[in-house]
Amino acid sequence: MAEVSFHSEIKSLTLSSGDTFRGEGILAVTKALLQSGVAYVGGYQGAPVSHLLDVLVQSEDLLSELGVHLETCTNEAAAAAMLGASINYPLRGAVTWKSIVGTNVAADALSNLASAGVIGGALIVIGEDYGEGASVIQERTHAFALKSSLWLLDPRPNLPTIVRMVEKGFELSEASNTPVMLELRIRACHVYGSFDAKDNVAAKFSAKHKIPSPAVFEYDRLSHPPATFVQEKHKMEQRLPKAQKFILEHKLNEVFGPENGDTGIIVQGGLFNVLNGRLALAGLSDSFGNMKVPTLVLNVTHPLVPEQIVKFCAGKKSVLIVEEGNPEFIEQAVGQILRKAVLNTKIFGKDVLPSAGEYTPLVIARGLTKFLEANGSKAPALTDWIAQTDAHQKEIDGALGSPLPPRPPTFCTGCPERPVFSAMKLLKQEMGPVHVAADIGCHAFGTFAPFSQGNSILGYGMSLASAAAVSGTQKQRPVSIMGDGGFWHNGLLSGVAGAVFNKDDSVLVIMNNGYSSATGLQDIPSSAPEKDGRGNGLEIESTLKSLGVPWVKRQRTYGVEGMMNTLRDALTSDKKGLKVVIADGECQLARQRRVKPAFARLKNEGKRVERTRFWVDPDVCTGDHSCIRLSGCPSLTIKPNEDPLRPDPIAHVNNDCVGCGLCGEVAHAAQLCPSFAEIKVIENPNILDRLKHRISSALIRLMGGNSGGSGKAPMPVPAE
Amino acid sequence: MQDARPVRLLIAALGGEGGGVLASWITNAAVAAGHVAQRTSIPGVAQRTGATTYYLEIVPDSGNGEMPVLALNPAPGEVDVMLASELLETTRAVQAGSITPSRTHLIASTHRVFTVEEKSAMADGRIDPQRMQSVLRQFSKSALLADLAATARGANSQLNAVMLGALAGTKALPIADDYFRAAIRTEGKAIDANLRGFEAGYALAAQGNAAEERSMPVLRAPRAENQIEARAVRTLPREAAEIALEGVRRLTDYQNKSYAALYLDRLERFARKPEADSNFLRELARLLAVRMSFEDTIRVAQLKIREGRIERLRRESGTSEGALIRVSEFMKPGPEEIFSMLPPSLARRILAWIEKRGWSERSIKMKVSTTNVFGFLRLRLLSGLRWWRPRTLRFAEENAWAERWLDLAERTLVRDPEAAKAVVATASLVKGYGETMKRGLKNWNLLADFVIEPFLEGKLPREQFADAVTQGRIAALKDADGKPLGALIESLRALPRQQQIAAE
Repeated sequence: MAEVSFHSEIKSLTLSSGDTFRGEGILAVTKALLQSGVAYVGGYQGAPVSHLLDVLVQSEDLLSELGVHLETCTNEAAAAAMLGASINYPLRGAVTWKSIVGTNVAADALSNLASAGVIGGALIVIGEDYGEGASVIQERTHAFALKSSLWLLDPRPNLPTIVRMVEKGFELSEASNTPVMLELRIRACHVYGSFDAKDNVAAKFSAKHKIPSPAVFEYDRLSHPPATFVQEKHKMEQRLPKAQKFILEHKLNEVFGPENGDTGIIVQGGLFNVLNGRLALAGLSDSFGNMKVPTLVLNVTHPLVPEQIVKFCAGKKSVLIVEEGNPEFIEQAVGQILRKAVLNTKIFGKDVLPSAGEYTPLVIARGLTKFLEANGSKAPALTDWIAQTDAHQKEIDGALGSPLPPRPPTFCTGCPERPVFSAMKLLKQEMGPVHVAADIGCHAFGTFAPFSQGNSILGYGMSLASAAAVSGTQKQRPVSIMGDGGFWHNGLLSGVAGAVFNKDDSVLVIMNNGYSSATGLQDIPSSAPEKDGRGNGLEIESTLKSLGVPWVKRQRTYGVEGMMNTLRDALTSDKKGLKVVIADGECQLARQRRVKPAFARLKNEGKRVERTRFWVDPDVCTGDHSCIRLSGCPSLTIKPNEDPLRPDPIAHVNNDCVGCGLCGEVAHAAQLCPSFAEIKVIENPNILDRLKHRISSALIRLMGGNSGGSGKAPMPVPAE
Repeated sequence: MQDARPVRLLIAALGGEGGGVLASWITNAAVAAGHVAQRTSIPGVAQRTGATTYYLEIVPDSGNGEMPVLALNPAPGEVDVMLASELLETTRAVQAGSITPSRTHLIASTHRVFTVEEKSAMADGRIDPQRMQSVLRQFSKSALLADLAATARGANSQLNAVMLGALAGTKALPIADDYFRAAIRTEGKAIDANLRGFEAGYALAAQGNAAEERSMPVLRAPRAENQIEARAVRTLPREAAEIALEGVRRLTDYQNKSYAALYLDRLERFARKPEADSNFLRELARLLAVRMSFEDTIRVAQLKIREGRIERLRRESGTSEGALIRVSEFMKPGPEEIFSMLPPSLARRILAWIEKRGWSERSIKMKVSTTNVFGFLRLRLLSGLRWWRPRTLRFAEENAWAERWLDLAERTLVRDPEAAKAVVATASLVKGYGETMKRGLKNWNLLADFVIEPFLEGKLPREQFADAVTQGRIAALKDADGKPLGALIESLRALPRQQQIAAE
């Protein structure tokens, strides 16, 4: 039992029937795809499903063995469009992205795909970025399922159910000629558990066994009039009933608890565990999900099956619908179904549960209590728990007094993007404020302290486009920030081409760090082609020039003064039109992953290696922390002053420093203080180093006889 | 059927601290011990910062193949064990209601990773760690609070391994110790180091709460070593003499004995007054010593070639035995720093000319190597100019400033001793170099001209004196752009006029 759990993640993708798979939700989905005979996979990275794509990319060997075609898509629209392969061919395909934002980007292709319909199973694995830990606007993917007639799966968050829903999802897609979305919330993506593995299945047609000839021309497969009118009808009259039939026959939705009762609960599959926990506390269930209230678990949240809903509600006085987010689509649909069936079951939902925010245990408990009370029953254990929790919270707030300072994520130690914001902050002091159009990516951390820059965020790669009207209506040129990830995702066309075409007088800074870093260092088109990477080294600069951008300058980010000069030029230049600053600096996380082991290896081999780090002189630092207000680097921190005359903490560089040089650059550029020192550590020094050092030391010793003013000890020499 | 209640465990960590590995060690140990384990996480973004949480539930295997429905969210009041890697984040978890006195065993490291808000305050923005610790003890069933990061450093290991050891040592989970050790071995990375950390954490938990050691600045007992020091001990109350001794030594090193004598002259002027209590004198002695040892270029040069500095630098930067280091100092003196080393009349003329030409913002970018003989020589020569210091413009200006500050303090003292303490404290605004120094001086002058003086002249209501000066100092430290102080002064200006209207 224990042995398998220690297999490395990718190895577990090769498990076969009889093995127990152990791992996280996302990895289980990947395994389920392989068990389903998928022929092609792809997607666009974004938490909480970045991992899915990472695992796919890293398991290329296994994929090619099974003949699975892998595509690292440039954005979600490309990923959705890729599913077009399943319109004409009996190929099972799966793509993944973060939602709601990814689904928004994919919307055009999704609508077209859904209209045409598929003959090969098409599955979209959606990371529903909602609630605690989410990084995007809070909206429901459900709306897309409704408007485009895509089926939406929301499995109970345990691996066997998730895996089953992936496998059934393909079947459902094929049975109803409709693409299927599988929605996983953040915690479900990362849930660790186990399931009984099955053999991987190689697709009949794949990268290994290619389709001999293209599909015959069939106009009806095009999302183009007049076929679209037929397709719309087809969706409603054929695909929907087929899907509903499949859902019933294969028992995709589950009923827990007794068959009959006065009250019942309808819950989204993904919320089942939270609900069960609170029901168990109320004495209405137990740790194994043996419920005492009839509960219909919707592992498929669209489409609903009216006869299933009617059957469940018949004979019940009232039903609680536990549905997270808004609008309350399920509640509305159930209401309509009951009305049409002339059933008098009262519906509770958003009247007892909040319409916004994550359904945590406490939130569900409050709703459940109200529901139970309204129906004449009571759960004292539950109400006691709520009262205790509230009283406890009050007590804590009283004991803490003032609020705790927030800890938003920030740039990594030595991040190449930090100096750009240092330069912008210094320039703001010099020239006054400018409108800053922020974007999605690590650079969005520039909106947090100590930089606090950015007036709007309109989506990934959208910064320049979002500044278009600002540039036309404001005296000072706006500055748009964009990452190289955002540039290739959307910014190149929506932003740059648009700004050149419209002759917008605007400044764009492209953070050229070489990766899609915020999502975990995925390769992008301009990533350097490396042994393990998928980058092709596409050139941002020549791309810009070929578009006719009149003003392009490259600037190494760590040179703060240089960056200030370049930005000042861009903001004040007489030349009209778009001015692009390419801010060059490799992602430090990626760089350190490469450099650190190499340094350790050379050092251990006895080779001469140099490393740089910074240091704050505790005697010289006066504890004003101006340097921190221009940096915010995690390794530039504070420590107690040992000087009894000066109690304020002083700045301090801890041993995480990677020697990026920003401290010194800022000290120079802002003319801060003489407290910063750069230390070059030479490991395994050679003869020349030693000789130079000896001579310098000896001479310093000569002069140091009465150095430093204490007039006592001679200047000691650094130990060798 | 018996309803097995899961053991619930919450981990709060910062990105990059190995919280994920810790969670997987625990999961694997639990599974190896024959339990059913589930975990999930809110990992945050991919960066190495920001708060992350991991949540685990462990249930004994029912034996009949029935799988429990485990929760993915920690519920308030239901967490049995909380592991946390940093003091503020632990407190945050308490604030979120996750820890309860009836149930939660808390294992937390008390070290601090300061937030940007705390770090970037203009004086001391740190949250009181004692208050946080007492909240943690108050709201947990048992609390193992110790600097686990220091334990990890001591064992040359990682924080997460120490935390795993501490968890095993507290016996809070139904898992035998060896399953944890096996989890480290099976994971297979840095096994020896992680096991070292594990044992260190285990030992710590076994011995219970380790006494927290605080490194507070230690003052020398007021024992005089020479004549001038003896004078300080003789003329000042003990609490002030402790500090004044430090001041005398600082200023003798800074300039010479007669300069230290001037320091004592100034202090004694106040020590003779009945209104001056020992707290007042102690703060005065401290701030006067700091201001009289102002950091001009001579002082900076002196500090940068001070003996033992390179050793300290090597030690603090973790430089290994065999390595050589080269140190470059970042300096960028502007016209003020350079020409204020000339006599006042000449310096003022030059600086006025420079300002007329618009060159005030210019400066010389320098990287001076103190491990290189030429760099050392430059600083050595500069530090040797101490004899010249009293003739410089900077000295004259600092001296005039100190006289005015002392004069304000003296005039306040006879009227309102509490306000005098506040006036003395304003000296902490004047510090630093370049822009920081200019900003501090500007704020101090505003405070002196528009708050302190009007009070002394009786233009403002007396009972608000101390409070207004303190508020002014805090306002000046609140924001680098000076807006809060400006607003405060505006509100004070409105005061007497209102009273006049009321009187009419």
